[in-house]
Amino acid sequence: MKNTVVIIIAIAILVVAFFVFTNTPLFLKSYSVAKTGFGEVSGPLLRTIGKPVELVGYIFKNYIGLIRTNKENAELRNKLARLQMENQKISELEHENKRLKNVLNLMEQRPKTMIAARVVGEDIKNWFKCIILDKGKSSGITIKMPVITPRGLVGQVVETDRWVTKVMVINDTNSSVDVYVEGRNTRGILEGTGQTLLRLKYIRKNDEIEIGDKLITSGKDGIYPKGLATGIVTTVNRGKPGIFSEIDVMPFNNFNILEEVLVVKK
Amino acid sequence: MTKVVVYLIMVLILTTFESAFVNFLPIDFFNPDVGIPFVIYTTFFLGPQAGLITSVVIGLMQEIVSTSPSGSLLFTKVSIFIISVFMRNKIYIDSKYSFSFVCSGAVLVESFLFLALSFLTRGESRDAFNVAFYSIPNAIFTGFLSLFLFSFIGFLNVRYFNRQQ
Repeated sequence: MKNTVVIIIAIAILVVAFFVFTNTPLFLKSYSVAKTGFGEVSGPLLRTIGKPVELVGYIFKNYIGLIRTNKENAELRNKLARLQMENQKISELEHENKRLKNVLNLMEQRPKTMIAARVVGEDIKNWFKCIILDKGKSSGITIKMPVITPRGLVGQVVETDRWVTKVMVINDTNSSVDVYVEGRNTRGILEGTGQTLLRLKYIRKNDEIEIGDKLITSGKDGIYPKGLATGIVTTVNRGKPGIFSEIDVMPFNNFNILEEVLVVKK
Repeated sequence: MTKVVVYLIMVLILTTFESAFVNFLPIDFFNPDVGIPFVIYTTFFLGPQAGLITSVVIGLMQEIVSTSPSGSLLFTKVSIFIISVFMRNKIYIDSKYSFSFVCSGAVLVESFLFLALSFLTRGESRDAFNVAFYSIPNAIFTGFLSLFLFSFIGFLNVRYFNRQQ
């Protein structure tokens, strides 16, 4: 009898969870209250645990670094030779430098529009790509705010509470960014794949795009401001059936090693 | 009830630690679900009441540190609990190995439930490939982790809880 009651309660919770999943407003409101309650406990804990873990990470990285020093030495010599050859491409680098400086200038000119935050965690499920920041609503962060680093775009704020903020990274499968190909009249939608590479969609086979082209945000999706660097084209496959090319993009940011980010206030 | 509270505090710390830990270790390919072993353990060994409380709390807790759609992890955890209640009389967990096997299976079932829920309610799932891709490594790693968790819980029971009785 007792077990039957428990099963009935479990099924009732299952039904509630189902309606929350389908975004039914009545259930969603009470569910978010319960979630906020839990956030009040885990938020400060995450911020506290984040700090010693960062220290352990620092020690770990240095130890591993020591082991790999010899290997890295040889790699660096090769890299130096390669860099000398790449010196010829200096004008291209200057162009990139200028663009990055513009982003930095933007931050310096309008410091009140940026909120600096530290990354304290990542999504507990590897099905989704999200990072957790140590700043929350109390710092003025609201949902849909873009998150950037000087290297380029990171993602957008999807959830925030008093203590922490969840940011959906652009390689999440639910992320889409409207982008331009820099220096060309080509526009497409950059979608996350859940893996390291991103997929640039809706680029027709006769559109101008080459491997090595840089992508910048168009500002037309209403979330990300115009001109933020997002990634570099690594593969262009025009041999696929259909009218669109298959294009892979490598993001400028390595989302696994992000430490500090900037949240852009709208 | 004391045991359930202790286990839930353990899950809270482990979940938070895991979230902070994956930030610098490249363990993206196999992310263990630290909640599943506790749901299975409490349901099988402490009864349905304890199992229900654990699954609800863990479901909510995991949603705090994930961008998964609201309600999805609560749904999957409670579903795992209900399945475990019905399997209690059919599966006999007599060692850490059988416990690990059950936990791995539960992670696979959880992935399947998430996909089924997505397809049922939205007709599509953009995460489908991702969920399917990671389900087996996650199951293996969770199974591996549950070997240690089972031994640790056993140690706690012998060292502290059983003495109080």
